[in-house]
Amino acid sequence: MSLKWKTINIQKPGKKFNILGHMEQAYDVVVIGGGPGGMGAALGARESGVARVLILDRESEPGGILLQCIHSGFGLHYFKEQLTGPEYAERFLNKVIDDNVKIMAGSYVSGIAVDSDGTKQVRVLSEDHGQVIVKTRAVVLSMGCRERTRGAIRIPGTRPSGVLTAGLAQKFVNMMGMLPGKRIAILGSGDIGLIMARRLMLEGCEVVGVFEYLPYSNGLTRNVVQCLEDFGIPLHLSTTVAYIHGRDRVERITVAPVEKDLKPDLSQARDIQCDTLLLSIGLIPENELSQSLGIRLDLITGGPWVSSTLETSMPGVFACGNVLHVHDLVDYVTRESLLAGRFAGEWAQGVRRPVDNIRLIPGDNVRYCVPHSLSTEREHTIYMRCKTVMQPCKIRVGNLMEKKLRFVVPAEMIMLKIKPHLLDKFHGDTLRIDILPEDA
Amino acid sequence: MTEAEQYICIGCPIGCPLRLEHEGDKIIEISGHDCDRGAKYAKQEFTEPRRDFSTTVAISGARWNRLPVKVNRQIHKDRVMEGARIIHELQVEAPVKLGQVLIKNVFGEEGIDVVACRTMDRVIS
Ligand SMILES: Cc1cc2nc3c(=O)[nH]c(=O)nc-3n(C[C@H](O)[C@H](O)[C@H](O)COP(=O)(O)OP(=O)(O)OC[C@H]3O[C@@H](n4cnc5c(N)ncnc54)[C@H](O)[C@@H]3O)c2cc1C
Ligand code: SF4
Repeated sequence: MSLKWKTINIQKPGKKFNILGHMEQAYDVVVIGGGPGGMGAALGARESGVARVLILDRESEPGGILLQCIHSGFGLHYFKEQLTGPEYAERFLNKVIDDNVKIMAGSYVSGIAVDSDGTKQVRVLSEDHGQVIVKTRAVVLSMGCRERTRGAIRIPGTRPSGVLTAGLAQKFVNMMGMLPGKRIAILGSGDIGLIMARRLMLEGCEVVGVFEYLPYSNGLTRNVVQCLEDFGIPLHLSTTVAYIHGRDRVERITVAPVEKDLKPDLSQARDIQCDTLLLSIGLIPENELSQSLGIRLDLITGGPWVSSTLETSMPGVFACGNVLHVHDLVDYVTRESLLAGRFAGEWAQGVRRPVDNIRLIPGDNVRYCVPHSLSTEREHTIYMRCKTVMQPCKIRVGNLMEKKLRFVVPAEMIMLKIKPHLLDKFHGDTLRIDILPEDA
Repeated sequence: MTEAEQYICIGCPIGCPLRLEHEGDKIIEISGHDCDRGAKYAKQEFTEPRRDFSTTVAISGARWNRLPVKVNRQIHKDRVMEGARIIHELQVEAPVKLGQVLIKNVFGEEGIDVVACRTMDRVIS
């Protein structure tokens, strides 16, 4: 396969506009971000019948975070096969290219404006074409997320080099061919941290331990077993990093068990020699663009507030993937983004669905649910996360339905289908979702 | 003499603690599982623990310095480190195609190959 997206030409900025180039060509749907979310949305939009679909991505090639996730574990639902991240991305990309979606890589979206007639103007800083404006009817936001850094949890100590996020280390190791250090400690037991522990062992580094302040791991059991236990890497639960030492480079860290209030008990602190500290302490949706558009955000998910068509509070602007809420399975991203693309395509063709008439309220042990509202006209898939571990339990959706679950953990997203015949009978305007002990 | 191995089932988030009693190679009893998948997993881990294996190799003339690769079949857990050593010797040159075989019969065993996990075109710098 050749790099077709590199050969796509965009008209040079017209002379009339000095700084802002002007694109003659307008699109039905412009997708911002070329990860699995963006590619899914583009396919969904094409499926809905619109012809002119464009994906913009700031990186030098599309694929998003998948390109650096070289482990297998992707695509079991969608391709019915265990694939590595790059394989999943390439298969998807081929579909997108075959489907005549245009892709512009090396294109950073720096702003979106809405005209009085509802047309969106997307401002792009492109490697090849300078600053250009792309006009479109509908926009799908799919910018993914970024990692929380040291500043987010304020680890005390000096500020030497050698403290970096696990996902950045993943890109260094798997794509750029650079090792972050030799003796590595990892804070946070999310999947990215666990996967990096194994990666660095295989690359000849020494991984001195993974430290998690909660009493349980945040990653899949499969990863705890296959990434840590197989390699004899210790996992220290209820333990955190209390101090970072070193002038130019990390020299050691102080770790301490945490008490009930999650504060470190310094009387039991001990020092560990290492030259690198990787942080795997959570992800935040990347929503600067959404904010600049004045889109309403959900403070819990960090992503836009969306209706059941995945439309944000700005008409004609849709959102999917990690920019909407952080997903742990790429297959869910794909599913959600196909849907967002389809609705965006419909919107571009002038279809206006009835406004949602039911607002969803996260109740007991529900941290959030997406979308934020439902309509009674079709089947819905609700994604949600719980606040704490519960086993066994049940999900109660107002007085409409109950579903038994053996187990819920905050690290695993819960997916719930609601059939339209249930909603038909419902006459309220809010629906509360609770996760309760089985016998409640 | 009866001995026991402990595993954590990876079948679902419950993560049942499994216990497998055996005499030499003979399995006597499996306990701790909440469902059949756990028993199957313990048996597999005892008789032949298998793992997916992927890593990267050096590539020249491409957009990136590393090419993601994988072994096309699951391999025995104890072979992972050996595999890593063999594969890391490899140096490839762009262009490479998705699925291209880079090492055939990697452990001298028929059908176990190292394949490229993505296409990387030649980049003229
Ligand atoms: C490190 C890591 C490991 C993971 N491991 C697994 C796993 O083992 N199995 C699994 O199923 N899932 C895994 N996931 C989850 C899954 O891969 C992600 O949920 C999925 O890739 C998210 O897709 P996305 O398209 O929303 O975001 P991304 O893949 O992050 O794509 C977003 C894209 O948007 C672009 N972008 C952002 N802002 C702009 C802008 N202003 N202008 C232009 N472009 C922009 C970015 O460059 C990027 O390419 C992992 C996630 C991470 C972060
Ligand atoms: S034994 Fe069954 S219930 Fe227990 S962890 Fe394995 S798959 Fe889950």
